Amino acid sequence: MSASVAIETRGLTKRYAQKTVVDNLSISVAPGEIYGFLGPNGSGKSTTIKMLCGLVAPSAGAAAICDLDIRTRGDAVRRSIGYMSQSFSLYGDLTVEENLEFYGRAYELEPHKRKERIAVLSRFSQLEPYRKQRADTLSGGWKQRLALAAALLHEPRVVFLDEPTAGIDPVARRDLWDLLFQLSEQGVALFVTTHYMDEAERCTRVGYIYDGELIANGSREELKALPGVTPPGTIRYSVRTDDPVHTLAQTRDKPYVRDATIFGDMLHLLVTDDVRATQLSDDFGVAPGWVERIDPSLEDVFVALTRAKRHPA
Amino acid sequence: MNRNAFDLRGYSAIIYKELRHLARDRVTLGLAVVLPVVQILIFGYAINTKVEHIASAVLNEDRGIVSRQFLDALRGSQMFDITETVATRGQLLNSIVSGRVRAAFDIPPNLSANVRAGHAADVQALIDGSDSTFAQPAYAASTAIADSLSPPAKAAIVVIPRVLFNPGLRSANFLVPGLIGVIMQLITMFLTSLSIVGERERGTLDQVMVTPIGALGLMLGKITPYAAIGFVDMLLVLAAMRYIFAVPIAGNLVLLIALSIGFLMGALGLGLLVSSIARTQVQAMLGVFALTLPSILLSGFFFERSLMPPLLQWLGYAIPLTYFFEILRGIILRGAGFADLWVPITAMLALGFAVLIGASIRFTRRDDA
Repeated sequence: MSASVAIETRGLTKRYAQKTVVDNLSISVAPGEIYGFLGPNGSGKSTTIKMLCGLVAPSAGAAAICDLDIRTRGDAVRRSIGYMSQSFSLYGDLTVEENLEFYGRAYELEPHKRKERIAVLSRFSQLEPYRKQRADTLSGGWKQRLALAAALLHEPRVVFLDEPTAGIDPVARRDLWDLLFQLSEQGVALFVTTHYMDEAERCTRVGYIYDGELIANGSREELKALPGVTPPGTIRYSVRTDDPVHTLAQTRDKPYVRDATIFGDMLHLLVTDDVRATQLSDDFGVAPGWVERIDPSLEDVFVALTRAKRHPA
Repeated sequence: MNRNAFDLRGYSAIIYKELRHLARDRVTLGLAVVLPVVQILIFGYAINTKVEHIASAVLNEDRGIVSRQFLDALRGSQMFDITETVATRGQLLNSIVSGRVRAAFDIPPNLSANVRAGHAADVQALIDGSDSTFAQPAYAASTAIADSLSPPAKAAIVVIPRVLFNPGLRSANFLVPGLIGVIMQLITMFLTSLSIVGERERGTLDQVMVTPIGALGLMLGKITPYAAIGFVDMLLVLAAMRYIFAVPIAGNLVLLIALSIGFLMGALGLGLLVSSIARTQVQAMLGVFALTLPSILLSGFFFERSLMPPLLQWLGYAIPLTYFFEILRGIILRGAGFADLWVPITAMLALGFAVLIGASIRFTRRDDA
């Protein structure tokens, strides 16, 4: 089964009583794409995933997974998707193997097929040494691998991952992403929510949802080129400094500074485009080589978009 | 997303998983099996304390040799202790009304003369029926006293017992069969509702709902293991009743077991109903209590339903346990059969089926939302 579009939503909306949690969402994700779905807490990310996985009924709009309408083809949709929820949702009192066995049965895999898939995924996720171990004794990163393995047993074409790396260490995060890239190479579409900007940078395309509304959607380059991110008449610099906090304070009385954020030992500045690098090195007392023109990062993009929403000009 | 409510797929997968949970959770499994037996032992012994040395009053208007023989027999019976000897019938009655004694014997003036003349002679025994614990054994023992006399008194004297305050005397056996229903309802409701709500609480249910498992497969898969535990509990409790408390089963055992399974279905339905409403395990526990306490109080387990206000009697008709008590007592104590009990049997099965269907609809709808 090879559909041209893995995920497609048109005007997807979820309302609870008075509140619209997801508002008129239209996105499209191709097979093999890693779609990063970002947004502040409570912006509607999980609700969107739950609608697409059939856990929450949409109030309006339509959505299809691999060209299958989620309203009418629920069963076929369930066979095409894998889901990894925000918190560990396998059975802690069951062993790794028993959890996989259960999900293999839940997906109605024939016994020989089940055995084969469990073996393949144990290798893929490197869970083999832990097969007989109770799931609740695994560390966070290994729990996520198990959850991913369980979500992949039936070879889904689309996998939804709701903050899969929340609360796990950087090495485990890197390992999990390696697995996701492998899946992407196999043509599996991945729909990933995250708060980590470095993860967002790894996605093929990124959507940004704020208060239920999709306010940005596209590749990194497209998002960084959005007019609201670097408004006309402004440019971005990074300024390396020995004391970023002090330098940040210094920016307050510089009328040409529109925005300033600390990144490690750097300060990212949004300034009016008449400002030269030499002026910045003079004003902040740093070596000329420490000032550089930069492109916006995804974080800059989201901060700019969120602020524009919160305080419309 | 559409999901067919009568889709049985995934049933065996859920069963597989539930059996693993149970095997891993030895404490719950142990409690589920041991608790019912402990409960019936505690309840059973609490109401089945061996009755001896019942405080008794005597009015002896005869004072002849036969009456002395009768009093000796009374003392020798272990069952009655003569704690009061009174002079008038009014005092005799008062000794019971005041609660000082639970039995009283009225020996008429001409007892010895009648026995000597070869006539029949009656001794009246008054028994306090307000406490069925004492009344039943006292009733039985009083009629047997004459048996221990020597002839000719043995043949002539007839003790005529009269139960005061509670003419429709309840036997001590009355509560033990009823316990079967209470225990079965509690255990199955707790196990099903806690198991389902627990999954919802931990978020594991969402992960299951993403798979193609059918609504019916999930539901039956969740309740079948607990139905099996409930069934084993029922057999254990029945065995305890029969062999520890020596309550004989007068009626058909197969009918009794078949109807117990029918009752189990309704109890499981109530458990499902609780789990479709409760969001946390604490709520589920409170829900089980909220449903079970009125069930126990209104079904006639402790209190005679015919003495309740009409409204409460009517409420009792809506409780499956009410009918199950009638069935249990009918079959176990009176040896009643299907023909005698078809009304409560039909009512119980219909009620249980309705609860199960209603709960299933709620259960599948809730998770499809």
